[in-house]
Amino acid sequence: MWIDSLQQLSASLDDAGIGLLELRGPGVLLRLGRDAADVAAVGEQGVATPAPLPRTSPGLTVNAPSAGVFLHAHPMQSTPLAAVGTQVQVGATIGLLQIGVLLLPVTAPRAAVVAGLHVAHGTLVGYGTPLVDLDAN
Amino acid sequence: MIEILSASALATVQDLGRLGALRWGVGTSGAMDPLALAAGNLLLGNEAGAAAIEVPVFPFQVRFTEDGTFALTGADCAARLDAVPLLPWWVGEARAGQALTLGLPRGGVWRASRAYLCLRGGIDVPAVLGSRSTQLRGDFGGHEGRTLRQGDVLCAGAAESGAPVSGFGLVPPALALPLQVDGVPAMRVLPAAEYTHYTEGSRAAFWAREWKITSQSDRYGYRLAGTPLEASTSVEMRSHGIVPGVIQVPPGGQPIVQMRDAQPSGGYPKLGTVIEADLWRLGQAPIGSQVRFIETTWDEAVAALDQMQAWLDNVHRLVGLYRRQQARS
Repeated sequence: MWIDSLQQLSASLDDAGIGLLELRGPGVLLRLGRDAADVAAVGEQGVATPAPLPRTSPGLTVNAPSAGVFLHAHPMQSTPLAAVGTQVQVGATIGLLQIGVLLLPVTAPRAAVVAGLHVAHGTLVGYGTPLVDLDAN
Repeated sequence: MIEILSASALATVQDLGRLGALRWGVGTSGAMDPLALAAGNLLLGNEAGAAAIEVPVFPFQVRFTEDGTFALTGADCAARLDAVPLLPWWVGEARAGQALTLGLPRGGVWRASRAYLCLRGGIDVPAVLGSRSTQLRGDFGGHEGRTLRQGDVLCAGAAESGAPVSGFGLVPPALALPLQVDGVPAMRVLPAAEYTHYTEGSRAAFWAREWKITSQSDRYGYRLAGTPLEASTSVEMRSHGIVPGVIQVPPGGQPIVQMRDAQPSGGYPKLGTVIEADLWRLGQAPIGSQVRFIETTWDEAVAALDQMQAWLDNVHRLVGLYRRQQARS
């Protein structure tokens, strides 16, 4: 990457009026601040993963596959896609991420029981934000 | 590619309409909710105006005779692929032999009456006078010029290159571009040529009261019930050209809104015209429901059309980005 892309990104931030861009990848953290004085860190370094919530039983946490607004129910429906306590099959849509008019699925990586939610319906989340806890049946 | 399993269900093949044929006395036809049809096509990477199936009566069932990617838009009708529930306004993928069932439309935040089943590549029927829409009055266009029947087999046309992308959807325009008055779905109306022939009281009541969509309403026209409209002068008119959206007032004073299968001429006085940008709202309003009308101007009507197009452009752009991203990964 990087220098060309950084200039391009920074121009895009200016155009869009976005103050801070944070990109995380395996072993990479990029923070771009629009206010020059606020540019905190640019470079490659180890990224600490957020500490997992204390768990009562073995399970896994489904993280946001992209940035977006987390929806626990389809906008046309009032019943949640996967209420806490329900059994879901592998590949089942257990939540949605809304990006503008788009709705992207948050899917169960395996058959499980929905154990809990990390964020409320309608919360803006970033890439990798923990969304839903699943417990093995 | 798909076989219709439902017995007579009044479903038809439609696209965005047979525009430009009124001069030959051929009506417009096309989807009653063109926004839902266009969005379903864009979800699949089709041209916005590809042909799809409009479903007004439920349950409706088809079987995929080969693998296929499809999109469902319009009314939320508790769709299932075999036993697996599908979300509304969503792209799904079917294996050969699977049955797709559309149940009764659910109420929820948007009460709608028609669902659209779009196939990747569009429904492959011949274009007649520039359109694949079914022209029921003339028995041409669509699939053999008629409503679909049990046993009909429809094929998809050639899809754009690249792997199909499924498992995502859209927030429907009813939520993004809502229009209601006192909690009742509303449509904007331009006063038409004979507007001033009605009493002031009748005109005021037309805007202020609710109108019920009677059971004598279909793709040809919606007969409304409400306080009868009184003419202050009797009008004798010769037949003249009319278009979908025109609100005619027969002698009884209960208005009729011409819809997509309207004949191209009529002789009743015209009170107003539902603007093109709001016809989809009326096209989705179920029989028995109430609607309201909002007086509008030419400039507002044009702006509303721009707003509708902007929504579609935005769908096109974001779906395109997502489909390209998925194709890479």
